[in-house]
Amino acid sequence: MALIEIRGLRRYYVMGDTVVRALDGVNLTIEQGEFLCLMGPSGSGKSTLLNMLGGLDKPTDGSIVVAGHRLSELDENGLALYRQHEVGFVFQSYNLIPTFTAAQNVEFPLVFTGVSPEERRHRAGNLLTELGLGDRLHHHPTEMSGGQQQRVAVARSLINQPHILLGDEPTGNLDSKTGAEILNLFVRLNRTGQTLIIVTHDPRVAEYGTRTIHMLDGRIVEDVENAQTNPDPELSPTEESLS
Amino acid sequence: MKLRDLFLLVVANLNRMRGRVVMTMMGVVIGTAAIVILISLSSGLQASTVDNFSQFGSLNQITVFSGSRFGGDSTAEGLTPSAINDLEDIDGVVAVTPYEQFSGQSVLKYNRLEGFGSIYGIDPLVLPDMNFELSEGSATLGAGAVIIGSGVGSGFSEASDSDQGQGGGPTGGPRMMFGPGAQASDTESTTEALDLYGKTIQLELTRMSEDGQENRTVRLRVAGVLASSGGNEDYNIYMSMKDLDSLLAWSRQERPNWVQDGYSQVMVIAEQDADVTLAVTEEITNRGYFTMSTTSIVESLNSVYAIIEAVLGGVASIALLVAAIGIANTMVMSVLERTREIGLMKAIGARNRDVMAVFLAEASAIGVIGGVIGVIVGLVLAQIIGVVASAVVGTESGTTLVVTPLWLPVFAIVFSLVIGLIAGIYPAFRAVQLDPVRALRSE
Ligand SMILES: Nc1ncnc2c1ncn2[C@@H]1O[C@H](COP(=O)(O)OP(=O)(O)OP(=O)(O)O)[C@@H](O)[C@H]1O
Ligand SMILES: [Mg+2]
Repeated sequence: MALIEIRGLRRYYVMGDTVVRALDGVNLTIEQGEFLCLMGPSGSGKSTLLNMLGGLDKPTDGSIVVAGHRLSELDENGLALYRQHEVGFVFQSYNLIPTFTAAQNVEFPLVFTGVSPEERRHRAGNLLTELGLGDRLHHHPTEMSGGQQQRVAVARSLINQPHILLGDEPTGNLDSKTGAEILNLFVRLNRTGQTLIIVTHDPRVAEYGTRTIHMLDGRIVEDVENAQTNPDPELSPTEESLS
Repeated sequence: MKLRDLFLLVVANLNRMRGRVVMTMMGVVIGTAAIVILISLSSGLQASTVDNFSQFGSLNQITVFSGSRFGGDSTAEGLTPSAINDLEDIDGVVAVTPYEQFSGQSVLKYNRLEGFGSIYGIDPLVLPDMNFELSEGSATLGAGAVIIGSGVGSGFSEASDSDQGQGGGPTGGPRMMFGPGAQASDTESTTEALDLYGKTIQLELTRMSEDGQENRTVRLRVAGVLASSGGNEDYNIYMSMKDLDSLLAWSRQERPNWVQDGYSQVMVIAEQDADVTLAVTEEITNRGYFTMSTTSIVESLNSVYAIIEAVLGGVASIALLVAAIGIANTMVMSVLERTREIGLMKAIGARNRDVMAVFLAEASAIGVIGGVIGVIVGLVLAQIIGVVASAVVGTESGTTLVVTPLWLPVFAIVFSLVIGLIAGIYPAFRAVQLDPVRALRSE
C-alpha cells in the first residue's frame, strides 16, 4: 500500500449563499520517498490539500489515508497524536517562538510527546549541527537570518522523524540564494528517503522534485513525474552558492 | 506534556509578558492583602474583647436564677436543695452550690471606716471547685470566716454621716462598677486600700421591727483575699451558707426555709470545657431556669465576630474577584496575541489538553504568585497597623489588636490560586477552540 492514498477528497467552505470548493474531488497516491511539488495559481487549493495531509483540517467528503491512518476517522486527540508522530510542518513564515533559542524551538515538538529533556537536547543539537547550525544552538530567532531561521524550522519539523515533511511555500520569504540553500537541504533529505510535499510558486523548486502536481479550482489538472528524479546537487546553483 | 515542561513553559511565557503580568498581579496582591489585613484586624478585635470578657468570671461557671426572680412565669420548680441535686446529675456538672445574696440592710465597718461588699452564701464543700485564685490566705470558709474580693479593701472611707440606717449606706445590692477607678469617683474614698487579710471586720446589720430600728454587729474574720478579676466579683464577700442563714434569720426575723422557697440563685460549676459548659447551660435553660455564664456571652460575641469577619472577608474577596477579571482579560489578550503560536503548538502535536494546561497554568500562576506576595504584604501591613492602632488607642502592652489565624495565609493563597484557575478557564477554552489553520495564517 502506498504511503498516502487520497480518494474523492472534497473541502467546501460555506460562506453565506456561496460555497467555496477549496478541494473538489482530489484523487492522489503518493509513495514513500517522493519529493512532491504542489503548484497552481493562488486559491487553487494547495494549502488546503497540504493541511488535510497534515491533519490540521478535516475533509467535507472523501478519504485520506496516511501511513495506515484514516484521517477522517480520527478525533481531535487522534489528529494531534498523528501530527506528533507522522508529519512535520515547515511554514512560509518560519513560525519560530521568539523567546526560545534555536535548540529550544527544535525540541519543542518533543515536549508534547514526553521525551526526556536530555534526549530532546541531544537530538536537537545533532539535527541543528547536521543542518549547519551547530554554532547557533543558543541563538534566538531574532539573531538569525531568514535562511537560518528556516533551517531551524526544518530541523524542528524533522525532530520527530516524521513520515512526511510538509512545506507551505517554505522558500516564499527567502531571497533566491537562501531559498536555494533550503531547496538543497530538501534534496539532500529526499536522498535519504524522506518523503516531502512542498507547496511552491517557484518553478526552480519543481525542477528538483521527483513529481509535480498542478492544481486549479480544487482539482488536480496535471501530474508529471520529473524525468531527472535526482538532480545532482554538485551541479546545482545551491551548492555553488554554498561553497 | 510533563509537569516540569509545563512549568518551564509557563515561566518563559509569563516572563515574556511580565509587564502586563505584574500589573495584573497587583490586583491579586491588593485583594489578598486586604483579606489578610481585614480578617487579622477583626480577629484581633475579637480576641481582645473576648479576653476582656473572660476576665469577668470563670468560664466554667453558670449562674442559675429561679424563674420567679424574673416574673415567675417559669415552669421550673424553685431552686430547692432537691433541685440542686437534680442539677448535679446533669452530665458535665462538677458541683452545684447555693449562691444566695444577703438581702438585708448592712454596712461594713473596720475601725472607724465604712465599706461595702455584696455578701454571698455558698456551700463550703464546693470551694475547691470554684477555682478561686487567692492573693492571700486560703480558700476555706468556717464559722465567721469569709473570703473577700480584692476590691473590698479599697472601698473603705470615713463615715460621712452617722445615720447609717438610712439605707443610703452600701447594702448587699450589687453595684455595677468596673475597676477601682469607677468606684473612686463614686464614693469619696479618702483612705488607702486596706489589707484586710487576717483582720476582723464588722458587719453592722439593721432591721425594722415593731420596736423600731434595731442594730446588730457581726464579726467576720477575713480568711482569704481573692486576686483581682477586674469585674464585679471583686466586691464580693463569700461566707458559708450556714453563716448567711443566721444573718438572714436575724434580718427577716425568721429562719429562711430553702426547702420550701428555694434559693434565688445557685452556681453551677461545669467541666473546664467551653462546649460542655454551653451544653450544660442549654440543659439548665431547657429545664426552665434563667442562666448567665461568661461562656455563653463569649459564645455570642464570637458569633457576632464571625459575622463581622465574614462580611469583611467578603468585601476583600470582591477585590479578588475584580482581580480575577483582570487575569481573565490579560489571558484573553495573550491568547489573541499568541494566536499563531497556539496554531503552531497544535501543528507540532500539542493536544487540546496541553494547550488548556498551558493557559490554565499561566492564569493560576498569576493568581498564586500574586497571592503569596499579597499575603506577605498583608501580614506586614497588618503588623504595622496593629502597632499604630495600639499606640493611638493606648492599649496595655501585651494585648494585640492584630491576630492572624494560621489558616488565613493558607486560605488566602489557595483562594488566589483558585481565582486564577477560574479566571483562566475562559481564555484557555478560547485557545483550545482556535482552528489551527486559521491561527497559523493570522497576523
Ligand atoms: N477558512 C476559509 N474560509 C473560507 N474560504 C477559505 C478558507 N480557507 C481557504 N478558503 C478558500 O479556499 C480556496 C483555497 O484556498 P487555499 O488556501 O488552499 O489556496 P492556495 O492554493 O493555498 O492559495 P495561495 O497560493 O494563495 O496560498 C480559496 O478560494 C480560499 O479563499
Ligand atoms: Mg496557500
